[in-house]
Amino acid sequence: MSQLLERKRRKFAEEPNFTEKKEYRPEGVKETGLAFIGHEISDDGNVMNQFLHYDQFYTIRHGWNSKFFKGLLEGKLLGTRCPKCGDTWVPVRTHCWNLDCKLQKTDWVEMPLRAKVHTWTIAGWSGRSSLKRLPIVLVYAVIEGSKVAIANELRSIDPWDVEFGMPLKVVFKPEEERIGAVTDFHFEPTDGWEPSPWNEEKERIKVLVEPVYEWIKTLK
Amino acid sequence: MSRKACIIGGATTPFDYGPTGFESIEGGAAECIRETQFDVPDFSLRDIDLMIYSHFSVHFGHQLAPEWIIHDHLGLVGVPHYRVENGGNTGGSALYAAALAVMSGHHDVVGVIGWETMDSVSQSQGSEFIAMASDIRYELMVGGIYPIYYAAMANKWMKDNKVTEEDVASIGAKNRNNAMENPKAQWYRNEHRYISVDDVMNSRLISYPIKKYDCCLMTRGVAALIVCSEDYAKKVNPDNYVTIDGIGLSSCTIRAGDRLNFPGWTERYGPSYPEMTEFGACRNSAEQAYKMSGIEDPLKDIDFGEIHDAFSTSEAQIYKALGLANEHTIAQFLRDERTHMHGDIPMNPGGGLMGYGHPVGATGIMSAIECYYQLAGMIPKKHVSKKTEVPDAHCGIVNSHAGTGTSISNFVFRRH
Repeated sequence: MSQLLERKRRKFAEEPNFTEKKEYRPEGVKETGLAFIGHEISDDGNVMNQFLHYDQFYTIRHGWNSKFFKGLLEGKLLGTRCPKCGDTWVPVRTHCWNLDCKLQKTDWVEMPLRAKVHTWTIAGWSGRSSLKRLPIVLVYAVIEGSKVAIANELRSIDPWDVEFGMPLKVVFKPEEERIGAVTDFHFEPTDGWEPSPWNEEKERIKVLVEPVYEWIKTLK
Repeated sequence: MSRKACIIGGATTPFDYGPTGFESIEGGAAECIRETQFDVPDFSLRDIDLMIYSHFSVHFGHQLAPEWIIHDHLGLVGVPHYRVENGGNTGGSALYAAALAVMSGHHDVVGVIGWETMDSVSQSQGSEFIAMASDIRYELMVGGIYPIYYAAMANKWMKDNKVTEEDVASIGAKNRNNAMENPKAQWYRNEHRYISVDDVMNSRLISYPIKKYDCCLMTRGVAALIVCSEDYAKKVNPDNYVTIDGIGLSSCTIRAGDRLNFPGWTERYGPSYPEMTEFGACRNSAEQAYKMSGIEDPLKDIDFGEIHDAFSTSEAQIYKALGLANEHTIAQFLRDERTHMHGDIPMNPGGGLMGYGHPVGATGIMSAIECYYQLAGMIPKKHVSKKTEVPDAHCGIVNSHAGTGTSISNFVFRRH
């Protein structure tokens, strides 16, 4: 009985201490929470709209996935591997997806910085936070050895030149610019890769993409 | 064998975006029920013994548990209620839950109300909210919006199946032109014009090969549907009810890249499926619904469908996942316009997500309502003409679709 009480009083886990801490919060941004900041009333007096500002900071607790994101800060691409069936993944899985492995915990492995395009697209429109980066060549690429494809940007290429199956290298941002997110790296064509000759599809893509370059120039 | 679930009626508010004609969510829900009461005078809110609410994102609604506002506004205190959320398949999942509740025998009359107010933020902010249903740790930051993920999947699918941009553009034009017959459709109420394949081809790039008119609309709207036992249907609407003969719900990975070699799919369908191109959850849930409703050849046995055309490309991919065509026949299937109103299996006569609109939580309910109207012979009453009526329709399919194909439901409805 006393042993049981003792166990109940024990802490579930020791709290980690966070000595290394960095903030990238833009200057002047305040966590205001909920605030009614204005309204409008239609001329006929029948309709009112209220403007609500809602601003919150979140903590994404990476928990057992932390090694992957910490790896990015160090310019490494970490994957996980199931010690039972050998399947390997980037993006990582901390437990195996194979039901026969009964949610086996996986091991961390450093992946090669080589990949291949599985499929691709050229974005001419995006979410608010990505508009200024347009047009974006987005590829799903398989990191060498991985069972899955990971999405990321392909740079140092004209959008119309991207190809299925093309070889890629993983390129990290300079260390001081990294934030521990997937945008710390992007793909580039492998050194020495040459695009295929001009064709009808490339012409079509060029027609679609050129107005995007013009439009981006008009954004504040 | 469990008992049958039926549909006796339903209605949507006009679908819109921006400042025109908004009732409030609870006001809109009340108007949907009022229209249903008008269509089915013997139906009473007193008969409802369960309410299931269908709403995707509290980011859009700036209100947690907004269903509580609607529920007591309708005067339904004491009636059990809960909310279903399952991305773009929220409406389909709520319908699935309602059908199960009736089939189990535990509930007799179940109201399903879905809504979304996507115009509470800017379009690009709205796109980003929706993209928060992608894995924000890996995908949101590099892509930012769903059309990009769909475009990457469609680009390879189109090459693998020899489908061209024009082939899918014809779907974008079809659904908007169908919506020109539907006074509640957002396209009818706002842009209000007929468009051609060229208009789709010349619209601005969203993400290659998807252009603006290959994409669905962002919408504000509410939809309500009444699911019930056959005994109740016979009592209140004996001439105009439909039976839900088949239901299916299935799932796939959140990140599209994770489905390349997924053991769960390999077990079911062999290696290299669904790749990053096919909708495995659509095929799987359609198979469940077909089996339950005794459908052997969907192309022959189904007369029409209201399906989840978030993009013209995904409507084409869905045709294949529903078994209407295979990799050898899909391109010709599209070129023959089999799913246009003059084809043998019209798809989205109500306008679909590209014409009627896509207020996420209401969308699957809207599709079910349009399917119900067709089967109950109500199209001449609900649309502006008979042009979008499927003649002599006996069997329809309803499809609701979430994520990058992450959750998909299919339903087979029949005229009783």
